[in-house]
Amino acid sequence: MSDHASHKGDGPEVYFQYEDIDQQQESYVVGMWSFLATEVMFFGALFLIYTLYRWKFHDTFFGAHEQLNWKMGGVNTAVLLLSSVFVAFAVHFAQMGKMKIVNLFLAGTLLCAGGFLVIKTFEYGAKFDHHLFPNHSFSYADPEHHESKSFWDEKLPSVLQMEKHEQEGDPKNARLFFSIYFTMTGLHGLHVVIGIIAISSLMILIKIKSSLITDYVPVELVGLYWHFVDLVWIFLYPLFYLIPR
Amino acid sequence: MAEHGHDHSEHTKGGAHLHHVLPQRMIFMVAGALFALMVLTIWAAFWFPVESLKENTFFMQVLALTIAVVKASLVIYYYMGVKFGTRLIKIFAYGGFVWFFTLFIMMIDYTTRPMEPVPGWEKQSSSALPRDTVENPE
Repeated sequence: MSDHASHKGDGPEVYFQYEDIDQQQESYVVGMWSFLATEVMFFGALFLIYTLYRWKFHDTFFGAHEQLNWKMGGVNTAVLLLSSVFVAFAVHFAQMGKMKIVNLFLAGTLLCAGGFLVIKTFEYGAKFDHHLFPNHSFSYADPEHHESKSFWDEKLPSVLQMEKHEQEGDPKNARLFFSIYFTMTGLHGLHVVIGIIAISSLMILIKIKSSLITDYVPVELVGLYWHFVDLVWIFLYPLFYLIPR
Repeated sequence: MAEHGHDHSEHTKGGAHLHHVLPQRMIFMVAGALFALMVLTIWAAFWFPVESLKENTFFMQVLALTIAVVKASLVIYYYMGVKFGTRLIKIFAYGGFVWFFTLFIMMIDYTTRPMEPVPGWEKQSSSALPRDTVENPE
């Protein structure tokens, strides 16, 4: 295996402001990383909010987190990890210049991303039906609503179904927990959707052999974004689904 | 544009190859580690064998976060290619995450506010949290 990436033909054009192709490509990657740094700031503030309220209202947060389905969260973690592996392979083959195989792996990533959103829909749907979405219909530790059936629960395969937990803790603070939960997982879900758009656009550009794709860098940049989406979920999963007592 | 030789044996200014290809074997190894750590974090959360430690919230939380940080480091270092990046890429990549940890210095304010050596004018002890969210106002 070659240690270095190969280029088709003469490779990409070097623009006048760069000394050489290495510097040009480095600047692309640095640009992507500076964007990702702003994303870290964006999610960082949310993680700080989570830390603060979790520290303040730990017991209620523990009680509220038992309403979440950790099995589905676990499956979603696995799905996202798998998609990250696909992207790593896509970048690998892009660096080797085998663009047909790249599209195959990107399609695998899209499949995983779609699967993630489907599982998320089941989770969110059940939360809505159980009156756990923090809007005017929110109701916690109220026996009348606690018994409410959900279409999304019944359609779930039995392996993923969970027994109902008593809703413990202060409803006011439980509402806070679900606000933070929906904000953070919702924004993460939005990033998944943006990732899907980015990956499918990239696949089309590769398919039509667009002049925009001269080498592996576009695949690498989209890959960086997708890995970041995975990275956020790596922290969200233990923090929301696996809170210790 | 002028002629540009693409001599990939050439080192960039940071002293690292820009075009390093992550070998397939390494992708598989990192993937295996990531899935193993995922299973480990679920196992630790529900079936941790040492009862006395399992009741220790702080320990269990630190354990879960340590596993998460190891997973994240594997993704950043190998999959995101920071290991093979130039020094400039490294400083941009690490910069964002250093910021993430410094952000939590802010927790010092929240945790020490009740420890004010000189009491404030208010009869109630003050909190940095919005008033409505204080769990047991005295």
